[in-house]
Amino acid sequence: MTINRRQFTALTAGALAAGLPFRVFADETCQSPYMPKITGQEEYVYVWTLGVEGMGDEQDKLVTIDLRPGSETRGQVINSFSVGGRNEAHHAGFTSDRRYLWTGGLDTSRIFIFDVHTDPSTPTLHKTIDTFVKDSGGCVGPHTFYALPGRVMITGLSNDADHGGRTALVEYNDDGDHVATYWMPTAADMQGAVAVDGAVADGYGYDVRALIRKNVMLTSSFTGWSNYMMDFGQMLGDAEAMKRFGTTMVQWDLHTRQPKKVFNVPGAPLEIRFPWGANANYAFSTAALTSQLWLIYEDDAGEWQAKAVADIGDPASIPLPVDISIGADDQTLWINTFMDGKTRLFDISDPHNPHQVYEKVIASQVNMVSQSWDGKRVYFTSSLLANWDKKGEDDQQYLKAYTWDGSELVEDFAVDFYEQQLGRAHLMRFGSSELYG
Amino acid sequence: MRAGAPIVAIALGLAQPVQAQSAYSDVPEPIRAATCARADDWSARALARSLAPPLGLPPVAHPSDNPPSRAKIELGRKLFFDRRLSINKTMSCAMCHVPEQAFANWELQTAIGVEGRSTKRNAPTILNAAYYEGLFHDARDPALETQYLAPLLARNEMANPSAGGVIALLEALDGYPALFAEAFGAGPSLDRTGYALAAYQRSLIAGDTPFDRWYFGGEAEAVSDEVKRGFALFTDKADCASCHTVEADHALFTDQQLHDTGHGWLREQARQAPPAATRVRVAPGVVHEVPLATIAAVSAAREADLGRYEVTEDPDDRWKFRTPSLRNVGVTRPYMHDGALPSLAAVVSFYNQGGAGHPQQDPRIRPLGLDAGEEAALVAFLEALTSPDIACLAAEARIEPPDNH
Repeated sequence: MTINRRQFTALTAGALAAGLPFRVFADETCQSPYMPKITGQEEYVYVWTLGVEGMGDEQDKLVTIDLRPGSETRGQVINSFSVGGRNEAHHAGFTSDRRYLWTGGLDTSRIFIFDVHTDPSTPTLHKTIDTFVKDSGGCVGPHTFYALPGRVMITGLSNDADHGGRTALVEYNDDGDHVATYWMPTAADMQGAVAVDGAVADGYGYDVRALIRKNVMLTSSFTGWSNYMMDFGQMLGDAEAMKRFGTTMVQWDLHTRQPKKVFNVPGAPLEIRFPWGANANYAFSTAALTSQLWLIYEDDAGEWQAKAVADIGDPASIPLPVDISIGADDQTLWINTFMDGKTRLFDISDPHNPHQVYEKVIASQVNMVSQSWDGKRVYFTSSLLANWDKKGEDDQQYLKAYTWDGSELVEDFAVDFYEQQLGRAHLMRFGSSELYG
Repeated sequence: MRAGAPIVAIALGLAQPVQAQSAYSDVPEPIRAATCARADDWSARALARSLAPPLGLPPVAHPSDNPPSRAKIELGRKLFFDRRLSINKTMSCAMCHVPEQAFANWELQTAIGVEGRSTKRNAPTILNAAYYEGLFHDARDPALETQYLAPLLARNEMANPSAGGVIALLEALDGYPALFAEAFGAGPSLDRTGYALAAYQRSLIAGDTPFDRWYFGGEAEAVSDEVKRGFALFTDKADCASCHTVEADHALFTDQQLHDTGHGWLREQARQAPPAATRVRVAPGVVHEVPLATIAAVSAAREADLGRYEVTEDPDDRWKFRTPSLRNVGVTRPYMHDGALPSLAAVVSFYNQGGAGHPQQDPRIRPLGLDAGEEAALVAFLEALTSPDIACLAAEARIEPPDNH
């Protein structure tokens, strides 16, 4: 059973009216449920940005854009903090207390921890972890930073033995101390997990998400350093490289961190999103190369399964679905496709039969999407990976803000990251002073 | 467990059933270092090997100013795997010459360097590199003692801003001054770094193949009749041995010369006039024809590769590349200087067709008229050139984990 938007709204209103500590779980809809939240307007968006040779200071940087209604600087860059080097800035995530933002570099494996609570308008570098590979015992490419209570669970993408795709989950505490490393199961070492539907455990990693009440943690699988760092077009023509993409998702025991089941999900499944409904026992993921929407769900017998439930665009044209964002009411899912620069809205009210209901070209390329909790504001950024982004005039780098009225995206403002000599705009996270009293 | 660490002990070359490690049926199984028990005296074995090579290989020519020693080999191994010796601490020699991939790289046609920068050439195996008179595909460097400087400083490889800066780093890193002192009685220097790396690489000797045991060792049953037929073709009808030479008491399978086989010329034609569509496998069993415009939209310009000409600037040297040894060729795919051919069957087919046939092509590359059975026999022969010792060399290489920041 799922709850629809009407039920969700009633639930929210009821909780507020009763004075209950109803918690809207995040500033936007794809965050860890362990995290405090912004209940109203997001005030800032932090954009983890890749430095570009010959542009500005050439360094990776955390860019802050003002989103406060009525502010004289609304829609403008109000701060930028450069961290040194080009680290292949990629994803970022808050700690469970939401006081710090961990940002990672897929190339150098450095992690930059920003203080976002002292002055949310001006993040400052609190700590740098440059021993991730050594701490973890050889994991390379910290990707997802997923908040657990007092801990940050980090997915790796590669390793220091061959720069291939075999990798690990790496757990740190909020102080930045390494806690444990959990290597992904492989066919040679299943670690007690069971492969189903013909899956061959490849040991690859990408995203991690959890459904707490079911004690389920899911991971997905992308590719290793050699592929995610190389020129995209060159890679498409390299038959050997194209054999090294993830074909699996793994179900873990959230509490014990033990892998339980390996699903056959070919074509590089990337982002994972669980819905928020109290009885919604499923998650979505998208396979980038095969352009399919996958459902990982608990069946009537209590077993978790994986199946493809929809195509995203024309798979033969390789639209390359990248970031996704689920609506807070679990009824819709934004899916960006990098190659055609489109965002697509899927109706997921029946998770077993999703279908596209809207699409819009955002730019020549589009990667990340984040939405406000009420779904009325949707933000897009452009960069996928430094050497995968389009070349020449199609290499547009931006943050674009839209309003969504349920039927149409209307552009509110845009920031041109190249015009401002900032670099390639990647992951967005929202900030607000309201969080910290 | 560390990534890449061995789980199942499977002797290389033995026909034991192996559980698939990839959903892609044509991904080879990695070489399992666990075949070889951990040996704390590994460097003694390595030293002995470099002084007394196995069956089928000649003595290694050690320079008079760099005789091998255990201390040099141990230091060289550590340097070879140290990821800190690149500008952003991500690349070591071993990131492209992977022990479990026969000290080559099976996962890329052409190597990728710092910040994902493209190179033009396939990372060759360093097994038996001790025997090359010229190093790199264009034979631009005559000695292992000096060869390391090029990748260390190349902007698209390890990208260090200066060689002196690397030596200063070695002086500052824990452990290195003592290891240099043990090996040389002196601290880190450019020369001594090259000596150590060369000593380690000269210990990566791999012979005693089934072919060696048959041809040089007199074991009639060491190879199949098909292999023997393939060798006969190799030295006669197919004429491979005129460049991939075989001597009376050993075989390096290289004449140490550079030739224009036509492959480089063909690749340049394809670079200048790329195909209208490229077949791209996006998942096991799923292949799409991707239009050129789609590929071009996400492609940086690729450089031409003129081979030996880039060393000599002599027009006659265009598209000439060094004859590679064929030892262990069965475990060092993909093939040719740019990794463009995926299998030995594809390589044999290329030569059977006579290469490109362009005017500058070496006249020995000509249509061979081999039938399918003869091509298969040649492939069987080439696969009989795989040493059973590679797993132990990989185990030695992994005696300690790579150094990281």
